This record gives sequence, structure tokens and C-alpha cells, in this order.
Amino acid sequence: MLWDGIVTASAPAILACTILGAVVGLLIGALPGLGPTAGVAIMLPVAAGFGGVAAIACLGGVYYGSMFGGAITSILLGIPGDAPSVMTVLDGYPLAQKGEAGRALGMSVFASFVGGIVGILGLVLISVPVSRFALSFGPTEMTAMMCFALSLLSVLGGRNAVKGFVALALGFWIGMIGLDPIGGPSRYTFGSMDLFDGIDFSIVAVGMFGITAILMSLRVAVDKPLMRYSFASLVPRLGDALRSRWQLAQGSFTGFFVGVLPGVGATAATMLSYAIAKRTSRTPDAYGTGIVQGVAAPEAANNSASYGSMIPLFTLGIPGSATTAVMMGGLLMIGLQPGPLLFMEQPDFVWSVFGSFAIGNLALVFLTLLLTPLLAASLFVPLALLYPIVLTIVMFGVFAIDYSTFSVTLAIVAGVLGVVLHKLDYPAVPLILGLVLGPLLERNIRRTLIQSQGDLTVFVERPIALVLFIGTAVVILLPLILKLAGRQKIMADEAEV
Amino acid sequence: MKRTILNRSRVAGAGLLATFALALPALAEYPEKNITMIIPFGAGGGSDTLARTIATVIGEKELIPVSILPENRPGASGAVGYTTIAEQKGNPYTLGTVSVSFFTTPLLGGSPVSYRDFTPLASIAQSPYLLVVPTSADIQSLEDLAGAGRLTTGTVGVVSDAALLSRMTADALGVQIDAVPFDGEGEVLAALLGGHVNIGYLNPSEAMSQMQAGTLRAIAISSAERSEAFPDVPTFAEQGHPEIVHTQLRGLVMPADVPPEAVAYWEGVLEQVATSEEWKTQYIDRFHDIPDYADAEGLAKSIETTNARYEALMKELGLIN
Repeated sequence: MLWDGIVTASAPAILACTILGAVVGLLIGALPGLGPTAGVAIMLPVAAGFGGVAAIACLGGVYYGSMFGGAITSILLGIPGDAPSVMTVLDGYPLAQKGEAGRALGMSVFASFVGGIVGILGLVLISVPVSRFALSFGPTEMTAMMCFALSLLSVLGGRNAVKGFVALALGFWIGMIGLDPIGGPSRYTFGSMDLFDGIDFSIVAVGMFGITAILMSLRVAVDKPLMRYSFASLVPRLGDALRSRWQLAQGSFTGFFVGVLPGVGATAATMLSYAIAKRTSRTPDAYGTGIVQGVAAPEAANNSASYGSMIPLFTLGIPGSATTAVMMGGLLMIGLQPGPLLFMEQPDFVWSVFGSFAIGNLALVFLTLLLTPLLAASLFVPLALLYPIVLTIVMFGVFAIDYSTFSVTLAIVAGVLGVVLHKLDYPAVPLILGLVLGPLLERNIRRTLIQSQGDLTVFVERPIALVLFIGTAVVILLPLILKLAGRQKIMADEAEV
Repeated sequence: MKRTILNRSRVAGAGLLATFALALPALAEYPEKNITMIIPFGAGGGSDTLARTIATVIGEKELIPVSILPENRPGASGAVGYTTIAEQKGNPYTLGTVSVSFFTTPLLGGSPVSYRDFTPLASIAQSPYLLVVPTSADIQSLEDLAGAGRLTTGTVGVVSDAALLSRMTADALGVQIDAVPFDGEGEVLAALLGGHVNIGYLNPSEAMSQMQAGTLRAIAISSAERSEAFPDVPTFAEQGHPEIVHTQLRGLVMPADVPPEAVAYWEGVLEQVATSEEWKTQYIDRFHDIPDYADAEGLAKSIETTNARYEALMKELGLIN
């Protein structure tokens, strides 16, 4: 059936719309600040005019295209193109600094492709059972899931645990600014109308990675010797894909299942898959210094998550994320009723759309691989020329989120905060984690307690939640037990760099 | 109560139509330039679709000699867009649609402008809510609901129509209904289908697809009369609770102090939209709203009623004094 869909989606008109969507997505993903949700919303009025399969093929193209594109600026400039590519900065940027930008970009393309294929296959083969699995996740299960995720993520806290927790708490706090999502009143807004909707995570990420890096560069001499030209550094290496096969598989599956859960999203999926990759590595300390595996896991995860998040939309008519909510608007605009009957009543439509995903995914691989040497060459531009251009683009991207100069100010504040944290040696990553996961954790704890009327035992009464909490306990306690058994040292000796 | 408002508004409508006819010569020049339609939310949402469909229908029927240019101005829970409209005081070339945030954001103190800074033009439809339960539940009617003792429901945000209706239902039936706030309609639906909340108050289009698929069952509709789209769903009134009538207004507003001629002009245009075949096929049939035209005076009254309801709810929740 997917083959029939691919055949239908190969019709020139649909193909053109798919490619158009993919290219727009690539550009919007690469533009720091604007992410998939904004991209799909921008294309919506245009795409709706195409009608039918072409419209949704185009919107889908924007969605997964932005997952490809987000990695570009993350790797080359250390500025996440959008929220789901924040984790790609951690290893992608150091790789580029080492003069291996082509390798990192190539890895992100392979990873996006593999994640995409796993996501599409999941979407095609197991979407119905998976959607039932997603529904079993209520607030209680989500709370347990977030605790489990945070326990795994503690590995990203840096060397100084206290400073890591301080940064995490700061992230939690920033996440609380705005209207209290459960109680109602405003928190920490100081009466400012601009803060009512809270602080957009991508603004902080762009500020703390991008603007911070630009501000920090002011300290170093501008005539710093440039990287030497070398063609080898510009081309991807196929061997990397084989070396990262485990991270690719892990990222794809983690991304897919986290993406399916309503309200969690691709960003959390990338964080989790990166943490799992680091946790299960025999050389965890190598993560963050620039290894291809650190690019593979989150990039596979965010692409896979984009397809996973479409499952509740196509099988149940439930938009599980902001991006799929806009896509649902697209379905309504072309006269379709998203709901459990969509698959049965419009099988040709659904399969053609899925077919277009497969085509678009493949097209993006060629497109981005061709662009890779060109993009990677941007590293040979002197910083004194590059950064002013980048700063302009970043400011435009942030402004374009909601056409507000306040957002631009916020990004600059985040950038200055980033410099302060860097000077004091506080890690930025836990702050970002806190900002993404804190609100999810808080909301779900409070939702659970409304449901249970304040009864805490509900957290251990539900099987899925109980399993996740046991997992959390194991992740936290295991290193302690190992340490007590004196085995920590042996493991460190075994580790090879 | 709702019904009297509607009846009265129809009478008033007839009167205003007469004024409109008399005012025609003076209106020869209005509108002389394109109209900007500010949408205070992002593309793809309910408000966006509503605004763009109205613009499309007006364009297709060539009801006005100029174009309507829709413009999304999202941010600060609608406050950015609504402030943009209100700042154009007296300018009859700026349009906007009413939404839940039109009331709630100003009441919470999040916007420098409130409904008093706008001129109501007319409303062209009302969107009821359906009280639904999963098909697997034993509940068949409001009576069964009353026997449940304690229930939970999901709502989008803290102050919403679903929260308002759950309060009204709880008071009327003497049951406890705890509303759990979620971050979007999709999350509410997922919680309902996953059995994490017992009942839901859904938009017609959301409820329709689930009811057709047999996953949810509607037990009451929040309009004054049954909806054509859901002929088998009884109203709250039919089940002995006439006090529960609350629908979302699909109306248009302009900034304060626009000339009365402009108001009359738009009443005429919007009445033609509301009764057109294009509006029926492109909006009513697609989103299953109830077609219902109300003139400026009718809309103004509904706006005040709705505002008072939200204000009372917020006081009850302790959000405002």
C-alpha cells in the first residue's frame, strides 16, 4: 500500500509540492529561531491552495525538512537552528571546530535519513497499536516518564554536580515565568504583558548558544589564524554511519516512541536519546568533545519523532504537538475531517501522503549532501565577517517568531546570561533541559494531583508509572552501588578513548 | 435567557436594516480602501480559519468593492493583536474576530484593552460545545452524570469555555467536577480517549469525527436549541437544565468610535455572509457550527453576558478580586 502511495506521490505536481515543502523546511529549520511549528504555519495558507495530497505533502515536507535543516547551524555555528537541534550542538559544533564540519553534517544527514525511514516504517506498520500505547500515557505516566528522563539526563550536568543542579533549577525557574498553566495567575511577569505567554524556549537556546558565542568571541583577537583549507574536511564519510549504527538505531526508536506521546515533543526526544547514548557508551567522557555518535543519536531522534508525532493525528485525529495542530488545520482547510475514520474513509489520501514522506526524505538526503561541502566551507570565512552576518540572521529569526522586539531583547539577555554562566563555569545544557522538561514535569504532577484529589499513592498504583519510577531509582542508585562495590575504577580502566 | 437576547436582537436587527437603507447615499464612498483583518493568533488555528473563511466568502461574493487583507499578529494570549486593533480608534478599516482570549486576557490584567475598546459589528454563527463521554462509559444522560458523585474533565488552559461549562454543570447537577487544565485541544482529547478524565466539552468538529468513529458519545449540547449537525443530541434545557446555555460567539469587531454608518454597512455585509451558500459549505458544514446572525446590538449584549460569565468564573477560581 505504501508502494501505491509512493507511485501516486511521484506525480509531478505532488512531487513538486513535496520538494517545495522540504526546501522551505530546510531553510526555516536552518534559520535560528524559527522552527517547524512556525514553518508549517507560514506555509499553511500557500499549501492549502494546492489542495488534497499536495497540500499535506508540502506541510509534511516543511516539518521533516526543518529537522534536517536545524542541524546545519547547530554544527557550523554552534547556534541551534530550532529547538529539536539543540543537542546536536553539543558534539556537532566541536567537530566543526576540529575542522570536520563535513563529517558532522554528513552524519546529521545520514542520521536524519535513518530516523526518517524508521519513523515512516513505524507510521506505516504499527501506527494503530502505537497510538493506543500513547493514549495510556496520562498525567501520572507523564510525570513518571519525566522523572525517568531527568534521571538519565543527570549525566549531562557537567563535572560539578552542584553547579549542574543550580543551572537546572534556573532553567526550571525560567520555565515558570508566565501564566501559571494549572492555577491561572501570572508568575514572575512583574506585570509585563510580554511575559504572559512565558519565554519561548527557542529564544533562550538561540541566545545562550548563539549570542553567547558571538559575545565571547569579542575577547579573542580577530586575526586568529583561520582553519586551513582542506577538501577532506568538507565531505561526509560513510564509515561514520556504520560506526554509529547503535546510536542511529537507539535514537530512531527513542525519538519515535517519545514523539508519539501527546505534548512531549521532538526536543525532549533528542535530549533523551543523547543521554541514553552517553549513558550506554563505554567512553561517556568523549561525548561533548566532538564525536559523530553524539550527532547521530539526537539527529536520528528528531526526525523519527516528527513522524511519531503524526501518528495520533492520522489515527485518532489528535494533534499531539503544536506543529501537528497546525497540520490538522491544514487537513480541515482542504476539507478533510481528521479523526479515527480518516484511514478508513480516505486510504488513498493517507497512503499518498505517507508515500510523499518517503520521497521527501530521500530527496532531502541528496539535497543536503550536495549542499554539505558548500555549507561547510563557511568555516573558512573570517569570524570578523561571519559573525556580523550571523548576528543579523539570528536577530531576524528571533524577531520572526512573533514579530516582537521584546523577543529580540530576551535573546540578548539570554546571551549575556550565557556569558555570565560561562565565566562562572556553570554549564548551559542543564539550564536548557530544565526549561524544556521542567514545565512538563510541573504540569503533569499538578494534573495528577487534581485528578487524585491530592492523593500521592496514585503515582505507584498505575503499572506504567510504577515501572518508570523503578527505572528512575535504578538509574540513580546503580552508580552508587557500583561505587560502593569498588567497581567504578575497573570500569574507568576499561574505557578506551 | 439566551433566547430572549436572540429574539430581541432580531427585532433590533430589522430596525437597523432600515437605518442601513436610509444611510445608503452617505455610504457611497465607504469603503474606499482595503480593509485589514487582524488575527491575534497564529495561522492554522480556529480563529485564523474563521477570519480567513469570512474574508474568502466576502471576496467570492464580491460583497464589498475593496479587498480584505488578513494579517496574523499573534502573541501575549491575543493581547498583541487586539491591542493593534484597538489602537486604530475610529478607523473603520480595521477588523477583528471575537475569541475566548478577547475576554479572558483583559480580565486577567494581561492586556491594556478590553471589550469596551471595540465596536461590535455582528455575529454570524455560534459554536456550541458537546458534553461527551467515552463510549465505554455507563453514562447515557445528564441524569446518570448526576449520580456519578465526582468527575474529572479536561480544559485548555485554566479559564476556558470548558471550565465555565463544567462549573455550570456541577452547580446544576450537584456533582463535583474537577477540571484538569491541559495545553491544547489535542491533549484534552487524548486524556479523554485514554480514560484519564471522565467527561469532555468539545468543539463540534472535534466531537463529530470521534462520534462518527464510535469512540465518544455526546450526552448534551450547550446551545439553546438542538444543532442541525447533531439532531440526536439533546440540549441541557431538554434534560431539565435551561440555565446551561453557553456558546462561543463567531463575531466581528472594529476599534471603538467607528462611524455608525460603517457599523450599519458591515451588518449588511455580514448578514449576507451568514445567509450565503458559500458560508454554509465552507464553514458551517465543515465545522458544524450553528448558523445564527445577530446584529451589532445583539452581539454587544452577548459580549457583555460572556464577559460577565468569565469574570464570575475567575472570581470563583480566585484569579481576580
